[in-house]
Amino acid sequence: MNRQWVVRSQSDRFSVRASTRLLATGTGLSLLLLASALFSLSVGSYPTQPGDLLHLVLGTIDDPGLGLIFHEIRLPRVLMGILVGASLGVAGLVLQGMVGNPLASPDVIGISHGAAAAAVLALWLTGSAGNTPWMVPAAMAGALLVAVALVALVWRVGIRPARLVLIGIGLAAGLSALTTLLLVLSPDATAMTAYVWLTGSLYATRWNEVWQLAPITIGAVAVILLNARHLDLHSLGADMAQGLGSRITRMRLLFLLAAVTLTGSAVAYAGALGFVGLIAPHLARQLVRAGHAGMVWLSGLTGALLLVWADVIGRTLFLPRDMPAGIFIAGLGAPFLLYLLYRLKKRTG
Amino acid sequence: MAHPSLTDLSPARFLAALPLLLLCLFPPAALASTAVSHALGTTEVPASPERVMSLFQGATDSAVALGIKPVGIVESWIEKPVYRYLRSSLQEVPLLGLETQPDLERIAWLHPDLILGAQNRHQDIYPLLQRIAPTVIAEDVYDFKAVLRTVALATGKTEKGQCLLNHWRNRVTDFRERIARKLGGRWPQTVAILSFRANHARIYYGGFARTILDELGFQSPEAHRQDTWGIKLTSQESIPTMDAQAIFYFMQDEPAVKRTFDDWTAHPLWQNLEAARNGQVYRVDVVAWNMGAGILAANHMLDDLYRHYGLSNTLPEVQDAC
Repeated sequence: MNRQWVVRSQSDRFSVRASTRLLATGTGLSLLLLASALFSLSVGSYPTQPGDLLHLVLGTIDDPGLGLIFHEIRLPRVLMGILVGASLGVAGLVLQGMVGNPLASPDVIGISHGAAAAAVLALWLTGSAGNTPWMVPAAMAGALLVAVALVALVWRVGIRPARLVLIGIGLAAGLSALTTLLLVLSPDATAMTAYVWLTGSLYATRWNEVWQLAPITIGAVAVILLNARHLDLHSLGADMAQGLGSRITRMRLLFLLAAVTLTGSAVAYAGALGFVGLIAPHLARQLVRAGHAGMVWLSGLTGALLLVWADVIGRTLFLPRDMPAGIFIAGLGAPFLLYLLYRLKKRTG
Repeated sequence: MAHPSLTDLSPARFLAALPLLLLCLFPPAALASTAVSHALGTTEVPASPERVMSLFQGATDSAVALGIKPVGIVESWIEKPVYRYLRSSLQEVPLLGLETQPDLERIAWLHPDLILGAQNRHQDIYPLLQRIAPTVIAEDVYDFKAVLRTVALATGKTEKGQCLLNHWRNRVTDFRERIARKLGGRWPQTVAILSFRANHARIYYGGFARTILDELGFQSPEAHRQDTWGIKLTSQESIPTMDAQAIFYFMQDEPAVKRTFDDWTAHPLWQNLEAARNGQVYRVDVVAWNMGAGILAANHMLDDLYRHYGLSNTLPEVQDAC
């Protein structure tokens, strides 16, 4: 039986409805993510057994080398994968819900491209061959700039979903061209860093990066969860949402800003990972249909799972080479996009 | 309370203090360390490290030149996994993946006591490397002399490093004398360094080969005297900027690269270059001229030039010199 549970604040500003099926799926995915994270911690080019991890936690083994590998190399990397995957998954869900188009995602409407172009610009300006501290604010600013441009371009006619997607695709194309131009102008060492970064990689994640990203992700997701019921209304269509008392434009701006924050920060730390924002919400919807609050949870989990596994494959299958996780996400994402288009075409005739 | 002086040191006390005294007078090699200042800071490295790990091609080349067999190296860019000219010296050395993204776990479990990296490759992972073992970072991967000096200093082989550099200087002097005599009025010659890639061509204004040619007395065309590594050319309209009295070019043996080369050199503008008209366009070995980036590669490049200009090369080879 699929029972419904409702949690509601006294003023009714916040309300969440959950079915048994949603709770079960969410718990299942959470456990799966936990197991995947533990698996990811246990594999690598250094031969370790899952038992080593337990010993290390319990302090029954004293091997500084092992501690270094678990604590400084693998753990921050796994946590970063979860944070970035969840950010992109939730950003995709929000955009899709807001725009009402299953193809909308940060990397389709140009937000990822804005972040990427700005970060490469930062690399080029500093002439650096490593990730400069400037990349983070630059990527955030780039994502925001694209969002502002999008809103400005559609403002006169109201933030109409279809127009937003079309203009976004145009901006994305322009920004890709800019990125390519910057790469051609860069010296080899900088271009090489930029290439790896553009594919999206969790290589050599450090703790301070995890600590910097975590509050941004958590904050943005919290804002989205608190306003999730407006997303539910928006997916009924603008007229209906307005009739039911949602301030359309204001809410759309809020959601756009939240999605931009999630995308910009994720791209800044892990590089321009495509497709997570597109695939994760779809996978979540395949599992269960629920209100947006529940779907934020599930999309975050599927996004995190995707990235954690892409990273495990990238860093273990081709040893001693460390392949950027983005390659595997793209390998999964490209056929998935085609499948979506095919289904969309069939449905609309 | 009176301080104990040497005179009232009892024999028992003296015996107890003896090991400490000896340790101060004759420090064992394993305990001694040197502070090496480098591109990203100062690192305490063991005086004579035994497990040296190299994370870039120039350091691998330099280590081999200094007679060190590293305990781990990164893959070469071509002739994978190890450049042919280094293979015999590096048999069965564990590989650490790509120079841009070496496998950190493998680095950790091979327990190096010295890691050699380069600033424009490893500045992001430097803090992690430093946690694994003392790490010394070279400033510029294209400056083979600076790389050799850094590696020699970090591995406690400054004498041998200096000897290799002296030998290089002698060879340079010898080459300059011989080529001036041979070419007479046609010396100094203006040469350009080009490279063909899968989707573009390059002119080098700086970098490994250019600095060596400059040191040998060759001249750059006026347009190539710029304070940057070089330029990527995507349009064949820029072919005239490639011109010089002689052109040395290198490229990899790949079909896509060969196509670029054929396209560019079939162009009428190319046919019109001074070097092309005079038949002064020469292909050179990409590993020695661009990728090895160490003292051994530099010597191979110089060997090529001796051969190319038909000069007699009488000084001892680099591996026999020191």
